[in-house]
This record gives sequence, structure tokens and C-alpha cells, in this order.
Amino acid sequence: MDNINSRREFLKKMGAASLSAATTTLPGFSFLSSCAPEVQKLAATADSVILLWMAGGMAHTETFDPKAYVPFEKGVESKRVLSTFPKKPTVVDDLYFSEGLQSIGSVMDKGAIIRSYKSADLGHILHTRHQYHWHTCYEPPQSVQAPHIGAWIAKELGPANPVIPPFIAMGQRFTMGESEELKAFHSAGFLGSEYGPFLIPDPSTGLDSVRPPKGMSLKRFEARYKLYKELSYKSKIMEQASDYQRESLMRSMEQSYMLLNSPEAKIFDLSQEPKEVYDTYNTGRFGLGCLLAKRLAMNGARFISVSTEYEPFIGWDTHENGHTRLKKMKALIDRPVAQLIKDLDESGHLDRTLIILASEFSRDAILEGRPGKKVKDQVKQPDIIEHEKHYGMHRHFTDGSSILLWGGGIKKGLVYGKTADERPCSSIENPVVIDQVHQSVYHALGIHPETHYEIEGRPFYTTPDGKGKPILDLFGKEMRA
Amino acid sequence: MDNASWVLQLLGRLHPLLVHFPVGLLVVAFVLELVTVRGKQKGLREGINWMVYIGALTAIITALFGWLLEEQEDYQGSLVESHEFAGILTAVLASITALTLCRTLRGKSNSLLLYRLLLTSTVVALTIAGHFGASLTHGEDYLSEVLPGYKDVYVEIEPVGLLTELEASDSLSTIQKDKLNLKVRGLFAHKCYQCHGENKQKGGLVLETKEGVFKGGDSGLAIVPGKPDESEIYKRIILPPGHKKAMPTKGKPLTEDEITLVRVWIEQGSHWSDEALKVFPEAALALTQPELPKNTSEQHPLDKLIDAYFNENDIAWQNVIDDRSFIRRAYMDVVGLLPEPSAVKAFIDDTDLKKREKLIDKLLSDNQNYTQHWLSFWNDLLRNDYYSVGGKKPITRWLYNALMNNKSYDQLVTELINPVKGSEGFIGGVKWRGVVNASQIPEMQAAQNIGQSLMGVNVKCASCHNSFVSNLTLNQAYDFATIFSDSILELNRCDKPIGKMATPNFLYPELGSVEGKTVKERLLKLSKVMVQRANGRLYRTITNRFWDRLMGRGIVEPLDEMDNTPWSAAVLDWLSADFVDSGSDLKHLIKRIMTSKVYQLPMVNYKKEEELKDNYVFEGPVTRRLSAEQFSDAVSQLIAPMYPQVSFNPNGDDIRAIRIWHLEQEFGNVVLPQPGRRYFRKSFEVLKKMPEKATLLITVDNGYVLYVNGKEISRNTNWKEVDKVNIAKELKAGKNTIAIIGDNGGEIANPAGILFALKLEYASGEVVLLKSDTSWLSFREKPKGDWTSVDYDESHWEKVRNYSTGNFKNWGQLLDFTFKPHSQKMARASLAKQHPFMKILGRPSRDIVATSREEQATLLQALELTNGAFFNDILEEGAHAWLKRYKKDSKKIIDSLFQSALNRTPSKAEENIMLKILGEDPKPEQLQDVFWAVLLSPEFQFVN
Repeated sequence: MDNINSRREFLKKMGAASLSAATTTLPGFSFLSSCAPEVQKLAATADSVILLWMAGGMAHTETFDPKAYVPFEKGVESKRVLSTFPKKPTVVDDLYFSEGLQSIGSVMDKGAIIRSYKSADLGHILHTRHQYHWHTCYEPPQSVQAPHIGAWIAKELGPANPVIPPFIAMGQRFTMGESEELKAFHSAGFLGSEYGPFLIPDPSTGLDSVRPPKGMSLKRFEARYKLYKELSYKSKIMEQASDYQRESLMRSMEQSYMLLNSPEAKIFDLSQEPKEVYDTYNTGRFGLGCLLAKRLAMNGARFISVSTEYEPFIGWDTHENGHTRLKKMKALIDRPVAQLIKDLDESGHLDRTLIILASEFSRDAILEGRPGKKVKDQVKQPDIIEHEKHYGMHRHFTDGSSILLWGGGIKKGLVYGKTADERPCSSIENPVVIDQVHQSVYHALGIHPETHYEIEGRPFYTTPDGKGKPILDLFGKEMRA
Repeated sequence: MDNASWVLQLLGRLHPLLVHFPVGLLVVAFVLELVTVRGKQKGLREGINWMVYIGALTAIITALFGWLLEEQEDYQGSLVESHEFAGILTAVLASITALTLCRTLRGKSNSLLLYRLLLTSTVVALTIAGHFGASLTHGEDYLSEVLPGYKDVYVEIEPVGLLTELEASDSLSTIQKDKLNLKVRGLFAHKCYQCHGENKQKGGLVLETKEGVFKGGDSGLAIVPGKPDESEIYKRIILPPGHKKAMPTKGKPLTEDEITLVRVWIEQGSHWSDEALKVFPEAALALTQPELPKNTSEQHPLDKLIDAYFNENDIAWQNVIDDRSFIRRAYMDVVGLLPEPSAVKAFIDDTDLKKREKLIDKLLSDNQNYTQHWLSFWNDLLRNDYYSVGGKKPITRWLYNALMNNKSYDQLVTELINPVKGSEGFIGGVKWRGVVNASQIPEMQAAQNIGQSLMGVNVKCASCHNSFVSNLTLNQAYDFATIFSDSILELNRCDKPIGKMATPNFLYPELGSVEGKTVKERLLKLSKVMVQRANGRLYRTITNRFWDRLMGRGIVEPLDEMDNTPWSAAVLDWLSADFVDSGSDLKHLIKRIMTSKVYQLPMVNYKKEEELKDNYVFEGPVTRRLSAEQFSDAVSQLIAPMYPQVSFNPNGDDIRAIRIWHLEQEFGNVVLPQPGRRYFRKSFEVLKKMPEKATLLITVDNGYVLYVNGKEISRNTNWKEVDKVNIAKELKAGKNTIAIIGDNGGEIANPAGILFALKLEYASGEVVLLKSDTSWLSFREKPKGDWTSVDYDESHWEKVRNYSTGNFKNWGQLLDFTFKPHSQKMARASLAKQHPFMKILGRPSRDIVATSREEQATLLQALELTNGAFFNDILEEGAHAWLKRYKKDSKKIIDSLFQSALNRTPSKAEENIMLKILGEDPKPEQLQDVFWAVLLSPEFQFVN
């Protein structure tokens, strides 16, 4: 089974499988409309996407869009505090990041920053609702299950490497708070579970998901599959059940066997990396996620998300001690993110890999929600700061935040949009909404902006009503003047 | 128009005439050329040459005239451009072909090959140009609409009949005027709504409403009653297609008859009928009462109907399946479990002619298993689950009891619509914190869910704008939703208020009024309106769903679109009427279907899934894949219990103990406990007269050691097991102390908790219950001294935390956490909360209604089944148990596995394959692999 011929055979079958899968839902661009010339073929500038997800609400003023620094001292007024860190220069002229992100700053000549992202106005703040919106482009609740952006990509592009699942989500466990809400968008929705995420909650054990079960030798694994096949083909059901049902079952089993038994599985094995590389990335699960994402992107995964785990009041969700905790969060992401960019650049993969770093919204010390639409405060912030635990950005702010982008056709060194330097630090130039972000990703991947499928008799688009537009200014070679 | 241009215009209009010359000449030349290949039929040469020359010449002229036509008459659009390009290309290619031919004939080139290739390309270009041209004049779907499978969703407008009728009469009656108006409006719907509906309003024109039609648009009055020539609509529809102002701009132009229809309507004064326009086919609400066919030898009413259907469709009856297959199918369908081998044997040996019916009765009367199987169907349909996203209220207990008592369907619906205690959740809806889209307010969700689940009609589209796929309007959706609202709702189109208020009304107002001052009054009326017999649609919808469950494909598909045509209206309506007559007894419906011969037919083999979609002809049942719950339950039955914890325990006693653990914090926030040991204490008083019985229940995630008054009583490292211990002897009058070492396993922070209950029963009848709660104390480090003793100084210990609430509430209930006898062997999957394993096997998250499950096997599924630790651990656990039970007798194991999993004995060949793996001295891992191969085999995976 493991000679070259069967591998080729396998690739052929996988091709047929994805083809037949493609015909199960009604694609928006079908044969019937082929006489009409409106479908233009888009030239892709990227083959895969890595989303570095800063779950919990990352304050832009504390990270990639620093404002006036007000050091901690007892008695300082909350309203004076815009940033709790000094700013540091990056490799790009006039671009400054907050202290603790110098490594990422050093690779900004290879990417771009959007400084004017505006989250949706969903009223009273709920992280998972904004996360749902960010990942699906639809505000919950929806009357049909909206697909994750990764599922759209998996559906439209299919696997670039037949043995690597196209959509892989890393770093998030589903056993803690708001887990049901988290599951609601980690889903292919109506596109069907075939396009759903391959979940790797802990990247350091990623290999376990793609090799024979723990304690099972390869020999035993092969013998077991042989037994299964012998038994299945001997069964009288081979003459009964419908062909398509039987084939779908047998094919899926074969695919799974091939993946688990294939040399490609070692892509998931972080121990293949030299120790110093491993150590560079290893700031924890997030860092190792970046390392695995690098390996997967180089080997044909389509959409990989690496999340700093979301748990209420943990991670970026700083309801107090914001300053202290952000030091830790920056240390968690700074080195591995920068290394990921450098490694992909050196290996030549950066050109065809789009990397995005984003969060569901930002934070502020005073404002909850957005200016003019203030919603119920979820954190008590004293007017005068007496204790360090009140020093930081503890409220949820939806009117401006940063998104970093690298590779996949993104202009290098670009700074797009800006936020006000005084509170409220809202987006004041080229405001960007989620529809544009999604369409920019689809644009890079060559997925038509009006891609849609029919569900319950109506068209469901990648972005609501198919109206989203990509930000074309993000793409191109030249630096901004 | 100036003087010169009429000539040009005339020439332009000659284009459609001239076009036939190059088409005819060049194509025939091409055909004849083919005949002459390899030097045959030499006599044709001269003729071909002339055809090519004249063909090329006329192609050039045609292209030129075509260009004139485009310029003079303002043709535009992408189709015109494509036609133009292909036409010019044809002319150019034809000219080159002619020149090449000329050169070849003059001997300047010695091969006909180049010329022939050119001629071929010319004909290809010509065909393409011709196709685009024809699309321009006949409409783009001229060809595709006659293809099999092409479905025009609208009701066909046939103006001819009406026109003849109108011509025959001198003056029109009101009825005729109504008819005429509805035809014209149907035509508008067909041709114009796409741009000129309330949704889009292009050019300010809305043809969907009376006001809109008579108001007109930006270009003036659309309709001037009595004067077609002044009516903008009429002026536009008579323009040649492709003209800048011609209407419609999309799709086929209007036919002569359709144009006449509009003209006559305007001439006759543009009467407007009060009747509502039904553009899409709509199923009648009432059930027809089909007669059972008489000339048939079949006994069962369903078989009589199907016999007639089979005759009509030329389908032969197959023999019914054997007893072995029948019992497995019946068990899976009624109780969702595998039959025990002994039950299979007894059934086969039974000589009673009515044994199949008896079996169905027996299974249907197994209320508990019937309920725990069908619960999944109802949970999907009513989007009920054990957890809540966005504050949705579970209706589990109410639903469970309704199924246990076989509550009639009309009563069930009554209580869902007009809630009793426990059933409020269905119309309650999901409400996420914050602001939601107008089409997703809870009242609208109620309207959508009742529409989809109970009535088989899609309200979702119409809750945002007038539906594109049914007759439902935004107005109707809001009228319906307002029934559930404390205040009258304002209509929102695409999330924007339009200043119009709704009036409470059911989707089908003809069924009766639902007006009332309060929500409660309206719900009462609505429930009555809905369950009345006249609302046959309610009963038809559920009948169709049950047919789908038992036969693998609905009589109407999709199941939620009950306006679609059934493959047999007689079967559907007879069965629905029979169901109503039974007092809408759901078990009666199941029995009626299952006792028929039709149910007992062998599965039909379909090559492709598409065969089950359009143009479906019923031939027999369709194989179904085991659902996530059926598969899980079968594994629990055969191998080892899959889900130790349930989210709803119908048989548990209501102890309400909470999970407690040492309070773990990070930056002042409560977080998941770190791995390691924590220490717990709880002291309590015992009366002087000692209790007769003292029983405690304990389970600790992940393990524990329990001390009572300093003495170790029990320990366990399996949190799935609830230990029940009698400690009467350990107690003494006065103060007693429970002390526990709790051990949280794993390598990173993860849930941990002690679940504890102690029941003291005194002779006086007094019962004291002591539970794990927040009055317990805990300590982080190993305490110094005799910390398990009663007298230990615990003053420096901390209060424990409740780890059963808020972010930590994802605990299930262990079935055995009860003082009742521990009798249940396994928890049914339907009672367990959503599990990653079930999710991947297709159990939906029930945030929204899900009325069918994915049947397709996927790679992610196969991976979970092949290497998922969860499933493999179950197999391993089972392997150990089986080896013990069968004392490592391989043959016995194989036989028993086949009997219990596949309900048959293995063939000799199968036995040999298995024996090769297991050998004389089977190891757990070998048996584990054998389990795996059998459970994953198609024979096990499908209900056949």
C-alpha cells in the first residue's frame, strides 16, 4: 500500500473526491450562467492564510498604535492614561509600536498595518459575539449557521496538499467559559462539516491528531485497516446500501488511513525542528502554534488559525492589572510572530502566504463600547488610580483597533488608516470594517467577491449580500510614499 | 430622427434576415468539405468554393448591418458585446478562409489543410455568434428551460386561454376583470419584481402593490387607465429587445400574447382586484381525503395506495425483508438500539403470523427507550439543547414527559405555541447580549421556527424583505411575529424601519383570527387556529417528517418546504388524515407506516445522491446511516458505555449537590484549577439517637481518598464511577468530620470537582441530607498534623468555591449519582450534552432548527473514528471486559460479536479472517482492532 503507485492512485482518488464534494451544494457560479461573461477569473496573490488571533480584545493603544505614555504613579487620573508603555521605533520610518513588541516591529518592512479597524456596534459587549462576527462576517444570531472564513476557503480552494486538512484551528480549547458560544463559529455551518476546522487545541501535541492512536504500532495500524477492508468487502451490504453512501464511507476511511499512514504526518511533528528554532518559538502554546503554522503553511494547508486562548478575564481580556498582564501577553507573541515572518520570508513562502494578526476589538481605560453609543460598563474603573491593578486598559472599545498583515501580495511597509491621538482613540481615517477584511483575504486568494451558495432557497454570500469590497490599496509591491 | 438615418436603420434591421446566409452557406460548405476529405466526391469542389466565397461576403455584410443595428437602436449590454465580438470574428475568419481557399486553388499553396482548419474555426465562431444572437432575441434561457431538470419556480402565466375568453365577451364581468388583473400582476411578478419590487425599487417603481403601480416611477405614470399608449409600462414592453429603454432588461422579452394581455388590461380601465396574488405554487391547507384503491389485492391501506402508485410508474413489488433484517430495522427505528441476540433468535423462531406487528407494538410500548431515541429528533426539530447559547430556555423535561406519555401531536403543538410550565423555551428564542438585527428579534425567531418546524414554510426570507422564493411578504412575517410581542412591532425592511405597524395575524389568515389584547390571549387563539383539522398543513408536515425518518426520504422534499409537490399526494394526505383521525397519535403514525409492506421492502440502491432529489420516483426505502446517537448507543451497548454523564437524568433523585474545589485565582479572577492535590474538610452533627442508615455518594474528578473521622473509607481514581458507601458504623453522636484528598490530574489547568452527598436516615423518619456545597473548607498544601481528625484546627482553611456555575458549569450528571439502586448500564447519547465525538458524527448544535442531518461521511469523521483518543479508549476498555467475560475464547468472542453487532453469525471466511488476528490467546489490543473493524464496516454503519 505504501509504494509510489498507490500514492499516485490515492492522489487521483482524492481529486475525484473533492470534485464530487463540490457538486453537493449548488454553487453560485454554475454552468447555466457560463454564457454570461460576468465571472472574471481572479489572479490569486496568496495560496494560504495564517490568522494570528489575539482573543479577548487587544488594546491598540498598548500594542501597535501607541499614544501618549503616562507612567504609573499613585493618584494619576484614569482619563489621562492613554498608553501605559512608552513607544519604540520599528524598522519602518515614523512607525512606532508599544514597548515589548520590538521583534514584530523589526519585520514591519515585510508587511502592513491597518490602524483603523472598526468593530461592529453590537450594543452591550460580549466577546464571543464579536468573535463570531469577526470570523464569519455575520452578526449572531443568524437564522442559518454561518460558515467560518476558514470553511469558505476550504470549500472554495480545497486542500492544496491532499493529506493536509485545508482548515486547521489551533490553540483554543472548548472546555472553559463561553465554550458553546466559541463552538458556534468554529464551524463550517451550512457548508457541511467536511469543511469544518481540524482542531488542534494544543499544538505541541499536534502530531497525535495525525498519527495512529497512541500506543499503536504502524504495523498494527496497517493490519487493522486490512482487516477492516477484508471484512467490509466480504459483507453482503456491498450489494445493498446505495452506492453513493457506501462509497462516501469507504472513501473517507481510506483518506483517513492514508493521512495517518503518510510521511506527511511528520509535518505536524514539532520535534523535527532544530532545538534552537523550537526554543525561539516556544513562548507557550501560542508560540508553538506559530511554529506548527509555519510548517503547515509551507506544506499546503489553506487556512490556519493560531489563537491566544480565549477564556473570560484571561489573556488579552484584561479587566484589571492591564499593564502588568500586557507585558506577559507581549512576551507571548512578540518573538514567535516575528520569527514566523522571518522564516517564511527566508524560505520564500511569504510571497504566497497571507498572515493576519487581529483581535475582536480594542480596549480603553474609560470608554466602554464606542463614543456616543456608550454601553453598560463591565469594569469599575476609579477616576483616580491608587493601585497598580487599575493601571491599564480594562474596558472594551469597539471604535478603533489594529490589524497587521504580511505576505500574500500585501504592500510592504504600508500604514493604512489612523486613529485619533487623543481620547477617544477612534478610527479617523479610512475606517475599515470586517466585510472589507474578509474580501481582502478572498481577493488575495482569488475567490470571487460574490461567491455564494443557496441555502433554504436564498443565496448566502461570503460577506452579507455579497456587498463587501476588498481594500485594494493594501495590495501591490511599492512602498507608500 | 434625421432624414438620412432611416436608411441606416432599415439596413440595420435587415441584419436578422441576412444572418441566415452566412449561417446556411458556411455550415453547408463545412459539411460538404468533410465529405470531400481524402479526395472523395471531387465533383463537389466547385460548389463548395462558391459557397465559401458568398458565405464570406454575406458574413461581412451581416456584421456591418449588425453594427448599424446596434448603433441606431441603442442596443447595449454584455450579451450584445459578446455577440458583436463573435460576429466580427466570424466575418474576419470567413474572409481569411475565402482568401486562403483562393490562394490554394491558384496553386500558391499545395495543401487544403490550412483552409480546412480555417473553415472549421469560422464555423465554430459562427456557432458561438449565432448562439449569442439567438439568446438576444429569444432570451437566455430559451434552450435551458426545456432541459430536464430546469425548474421555473413561478406558476406559469398562460395568457392565451384568458385572452380568447375575453375576446368572446362584449363587456367584462368583475370576475373576468379580477382574473385579468391577477394574470397581469402575475406577469409583473414574473418579469418585473426582480428590479421593480418592494425590495429593489429601481427607478422608483414598485409593481408589487396597487399604490406603486398607479404612482408610477421616476419616468412618469406607469399606467394611464384606458390609455396603453400613454402608459410608460406599455410603451417600454413593445420596444424591440435590447433597445436602451426596452423592458424587461433581464430575462426573456414578453411574448405577443403577454403584451396583448397588458394592453387589454389597461384598455379595460386597469381594474385592481382585492384578491392576494399567489405567484408561487402553494399547497392547499386542507387535507384531501383520498379514496383507497379498490382493485388491489393488498390489505394494508398504505400498500393499496402504493400498489396503485407502482402500477402507474411501472414498478414491481420486491419481496419483504427477512426476520433478521426486520428486527434490526425495527429496533433502530423505534428505540434506536440494537436487538439482543436472544431477542433476535426468539423473534425468528416465533411462528406467529402477526409477529412483526407484535414486535412493533412491543417496541412502541417500551416508553423509556422510545422516548430516549425520538428525543433527538424532537430536540433537533425544536432546537432544544441542554446548554444555552444566548439565554435560550431548555424544554427538555416537558418534552421528555410528553414523549413518555405519548402526548397527542395537537396537544404537543398547543403547548409549544401557548406554553405551559416547562415548554416556554420553544417560542422564547435566543437573545444574545447586545443589539440584534431586526429580523432576529426573539418574536421573529418564534415566527421563523414555527414556520419551519411545524408548518414547513420558510419565514426566514420574509422576515427581512418580501420573499423571493414564496408568496410570503414582509408584512405577513411581521403580522405573525407580532402575535408574540408585548407591543405591536414596526416593520423593518433589511433592518431599517419603514414606518408601518403590523397587525397580529397568522401566516394563513383564512384559518381564523388570532387577535387579542394580550400576548396570552393571542397565543391561546393561535394554538387553536393551528391545531384545527382545517390546518391540514400542520399534520402533513409532521407526517412527512416521520415518513422520512422511517423510509429515508420524504414524500415532499426538502422537508421544510411543504409547498413542493409530493411524489404521491394520495399517500401523503391519506396518511396525514389517518393520523388526524387517530387523535394525532404519533405512535399510531409510526405503527401505520411500519406495519405496511412498503416499510418492509429491501433498501433501494441509488447510484448517486442526485437520484433522490429532483425527478424522484419512490421504489422503496433508502438506506440510512446510523445517527451520532444511534452509533454511540450501539457502542455503549456492545463495547463500553460512551457517555458516563448525562445532562438530563430522568431517573435521578433531585440531590442538587454542586461540584466544589479549592478556590483558584489568577489576578483576582477565578480560573481553572491547576493539576495536583487539594485537601477538603466538612464537619457535621449527628443526633444522640444514631441514624439507622448513613449512605454516601462520592465522585471526584480525577480521584480521591475519603476519610470519616480520621479513618480511610474509600478511594477511587475513576471519576466516572460514583461510589456508594454505607458509613453508619463510622459515625458517632456529636461532631463528625468528612475529610477528602482530591486529586486533579492532567498537565495543564483543567476542571476538577468533588461531588458528594450523604443521607442520614433516622428511625423517627427524619432524613438529613449533607451535600458538597460552599460551606466546605479546603487547603492548598498538604496540611500539617492529623488533618483528617475531628479535632483538627481548621481555622486557617479557606472556603471552597462552587465550580458548577458560570464558566465552569459544563459538568454533566452521572447517572449513578443517586441513592436509588445503581441499575442503569449506560447513559443514552440523547441525554448527554453535545460531545465532540457526536458533533463530528453529525449531531447539530441546536442554536437553530435542524430538520435533517448530514449523511455524507467526511475525512474529519473518519479521522476521529480512526485515531481519536476518545473512541479508542472506549474500545480498549471494552476489549478488557470482553476478554474477561469470554475467558479469551476467540471463537466465542467472534460469534458473540457478530450476533450482537450484526445480528447474524459470521461466515466461515469472516471467522477465519478474525481468527487470524485474534489467535489462540487474544490480547486486548487485538480484540480492540477487531471491534474497530466491525464497528466501522458499512454493514454496521447503515440501517438496512
